[in-house]
Amino acid sequence: MTTSTNSKRNEHHRWQHARDLFAVMVDRDLKILYKRSSLGFGWALVTPLLQLFIFLFVFRQVLGTQIENYASFVFIGVLVFGWFQGALGMSGGLITGSKALVTQPGFPLTLLPHVMVGVRLFHFVIALPILFGLLWWQGIRPSLPWISLPVLLVVQYLLIVGLAYPLASINVIFRDTQHIVGVLLQLMMFLTPVFYSLETVPPPLRPWFYLNPMVGVVQSWRAVLLDGAWPDLRVVASLLVVGIVLLIAGRRIFVSQSFRFAEEM
Amino acid sequence: MKVLVKADNVGKTFIRRSDAGRWRDLAAGVWRRSAQKPLWALRGVSFEVAAGEMLGIVGANGAGKSTLLRLLGGIGKPTTGSVEIQGRIGALLELGGGFQGDLTGRENATLAAVVAGLLKREAVERLPEIVRFAELEDFIDVPVRTYSTGMIMRLAFAVAVHTDPEIMLVDEYLSVGDLAFQAKCAARIADLRGRGCAIVFVSHGMDQVRELCDRALWLRRGEVVACDSARSVAAAYEQEVREESLRRTPVAPARPTDMGTDLRPRENRFGSLEMEITRVVLRPGPALTTGGTLGIEIGYRAESSLPAPVFTVSISRPDGTVCFDTNTLSARAAVVQVKGSGTIRLVIDRLDLATGSYFVDVGVFESSWSHAYDYHWHVYQLTVEGGSTHKGVLAPPCRWSVVETTGPARVKERLTAS
Repeated sequence: MTTSTNSKRNEHHRWQHARDLFAVMVDRDLKILYKRSSLGFGWALVTPLLQLFIFLFVFRQVLGTQIENYASFVFIGVLVFGWFQGALGMSGGLITGSKALVTQPGFPLTLLPHVMVGVRLFHFVIALPILFGLLWWQGIRPSLPWISLPVLLVVQYLLIVGLAYPLASINVIFRDTQHIVGVLLQLMMFLTPVFYSLETVPPPLRPWFYLNPMVGVVQSWRAVLLDGAWPDLRVVASLLVVGIVLLIAGRRIFVSQSFRFAEEM
Repeated sequence: MKVLVKADNVGKTFIRRSDAGRWRDLAAGVWRRSAQKPLWALRGVSFEVAAGEMLGIVGANGAGKSTLLRLLGGIGKPTTGSVEIQGRIGALLELGGGFQGDLTGRENATLAAVVAGLLKREAVERLPEIVRFAELEDFIDVPVRTYSTGMIMRLAFAVAVHTDPEIMLVDEYLSVGDLAFQAKCAARIADLRGRGCAIVFVSHGMDQVRELCDRALWLRRGEVVACDSARSVAAAYEQEVREESLRRTPVAPARPTDMGTDLRPRENRFGSLEMEITRVVLRPGPALTTGGTLGIEIGYRAESSLPAPVFTVSISRPDGTVCFDTNTLSARAAVVQVKGSGTIRLVIDRLDLATGSYFVDVGVFESSWSHAYDYHWHVYQLTVEGGSTHKGVLAPPCRWSVVETTGPARVKERLTAS
């Protein structure tokens, strides 16, 4: 065998192993989450549904919000922001909570943020049928722009992983990070139109809201699903660029810090 | 032979930092690289391990053995020098550390095998073999949290040796399971070596090092004392233990024992006396019939808490020839934290020694054999009676018979056992 085919084979094997490792790790995390609860995977559905009911009750019944199709409007916000919040809330403890893997020679630690974001993505995807059912019940039928949804998933995936990398590595040295992130995510939920419409924000403030990447993502999902329109291409393209830059820079930080992980445990 | 592991002038410093001081350190780091003086855990360590070779690493606790093993595994990076590794690493550093209690043995083993470098398909294929090796056929589908420590160790070891490692890093693996399982582990390790796997093995047991390793590296406070054949390094290390024990033996008055001989420090008693052997009783008594059962009870007292001391017992002749030797470390008897006083007992089921007089030498050592706490040499006399009075030290049951003859020779069969 020549060296080039050999290295190509190795490269192929490496990718295959990374895929397998990703699959077994996601599988492990899901099992750990639900193995000993009697409802099991059912929680992946029940949690967002309960959140939906809470928002519906508080905003429609108590505060009297007048937004068309409010149930699906809120549910989109809850699911999309829930993925972001759930994943980043866990990102701080990613390395500090995986001592055994950190001290395992040869384990690719750079895979861990992907595993964690993958686990949350699984929760997101499993709840999507409920969202589609809700839309159908409210008289909304699939339209051509729906094919842009996978792009929105990719954009959000890149954004989350790109932020998770630096957060996980900074938390190893400053354990306070985890707690600060929790508070910031809470704040961010109010700065993202999860249960209100961006229309209610005074126009001069609106462009500033778009500095929060989740605003663009949530708005795009609503444009596609509720209005049957194509998402704003400028917004999606710039988010994609931001996501890629975050991922590359974040991974760099993570890799350059990774030699410290074992020492700081 | 191809060199698979190469350490060149490896040094490693750790900076001790308090949690509260982190922010201040960060601020200080802006102006200076480090505010504190570094602590060298390893310094100037160089060696090579070729394919099929086994290198032992010995040294007292805190000498840097585990730090070195981690650096070889690519965990952390050396402060000075370099580590070069060629091939896939299998590691037995913290056995079973990555196991999840709520998942079954099968799920954990599959995961561990993939983490160790196998593809999912390969891991599933090898699982039956792994389970058979670990002797866990009946328990593989129950959650690992119901396993005993021994079962977890067995499973972790089984996974590690079934993932085709080219380099193995082993931290005291032989403390896994019972003697039969250890023999299986040793055979598997030998098998891996035969296939060209390079092994680095950290051990406290000099017998293991002599038996298993080709060469040994001795570390003291992070620096290499010796790197030579396993036999000579083990001998030098044991010599050091004797000298260190003597150095630490305090000048103290002689003390009488139940057996008549006085205990005189630096003469027939050695050790730092951080832990003392207060009493030694032989059962049934100081006289024994060949082939009889001998019980040895050792009373001890420790003023402060000492982690995992090692008790030793050996039977020797007056001229110093050792007839029998055992210790709690190589026999895998679990002696954990010791504080206060207590008694430990060794039972030798059959002592097939020839008639004569012997000494029972007892001792208790620091957990990494760095020195003796208390060692009583040629104090407790044992007389063995009733066996063969010929030359030699052994008198096991035996018999003669004629198997084939051309003439009329007959030996009346007779049992010469006691």
